[in-house]
Amino acid sequence: MVFEEIYKTYWDRIFRLCMGFVNDYDIAQDLAQETFVIVWQKLDTFRNESSIGTWIFRIASNNCLRQIEKEKRFLKSDLPINLTEEKQQSIEPQIQFLYKCIAELPETERIVISLELEDIKQAEIAKIVGLSEANIRVKIHRIKEKLTQKFKENGPQ
Amino acid sequence: MDHNNNIDFKDLWKKQTVSQPNIEDLLTRLKQFKKAGLRSLWMTNILLFATCAFIIFIWYSYQPEFISTKIGIVLTILAMVVYLIFYNRLISIYKNIVTAQTNQEYLQKLILIKKKQQFMQSTMLSLYFVLLGVGIGLYMYEYAVRMTAFWASFTYGITLLWMGFNWFYIRPKQIKKQQSKLNDLIAKFEEVNNQLL
Repeated sequence: MVFEEIYKTYWDRIFRLCMGFVNDYDIAQDLAQETFVIVWQKLDTFRNESSIGTWIFRIASNNCLRQIEKEKRFLKSDLPINLTEEKQQSIEPQIQFLYKCIAELPETERIVISLELEDIKQAEIAKIVGLSEANIRVKIHRIKEKLTQKFKENGPQ
Repeated sequence: MDHNNNIDFKDLWKKQTVSQPNIEDLLTRLKQFKKAGLRSLWMTNILLFATCAFIIFIWYSYQPEFISTKIGIVLTILAMVVYLIFYNRLISIYKNIVTAQTNQEYLQKLILIKKKQQFMQSTMLSLYFVLLGVGIGLYMYEYAVRMTAFWASFTYGITLLWMGFNWFYIRPKQIKKQQSKLNDLIAKFEEVNNQLL
């Protein structure tokens, strides 16, 4: 697969994964770009051991996990928090709420649910995260319950 | 999904506005990335080269007679070179981490790297100070011998005082600063990793 093709096919999906992780448009955009920089660099090391999708999602989710390191540095600078909120007001509140809820989950759950919502097969999710399929199934079930609960309690109508 | 009570998460999820940057923009960024990598490589090499040139310069222009002076110069320079090489190694470890592993493997690798970094940083910093201290001490000997006993001990006294300050104050402070940052990070990564257990 050519890089350009990959880029066009996967950009949106990778962006949403990053957005689910950080719930910040600019950071998500940066994370998605970083992912494609890595994909571009490593494309020749990709051997068809897994599907290209699994491979790319692994890179993207690992890059999100690396973000934790930057987050620590970021917090110290104390930026005003409402900066990003203004930008997102045009988005439908329900979508905004969903992404907010997901970004508040524990880190690995954010990845699992994002991949599930992207319509990725549970067997593939298991291969990306490194857990058993049964484990993933249970996790997805629990996360969805959590989200439903949150929507019921304080979700926008 | 059956238990969602009519909330279609998948539908909501996909409605998120996405703006795909132009591929040209990304390619420009890729080029910059490459350039930055090359630049840092150049910087390291120029620095290494400059220190080597400096050693040769001192050697030839001052013609030290004692072997201790020569060893002193070498040790001092060695301290800096070792430190420099160490930092470059650390960066390359990061670059070579396999990014297409499973999340679980990746997290474990990150924790391992951070622990390694933690060990290396404290050891390296101590090694740096020892090499530098011994180097300067040896280097001074040839010149101190030519002084009166008072000035020789005065010079050594001041130098030792300065080294002691570095060893007992600057070094532990520096190590503590680096370690607490790394400890936080390791704890956080371990916490994330435990989510997968």
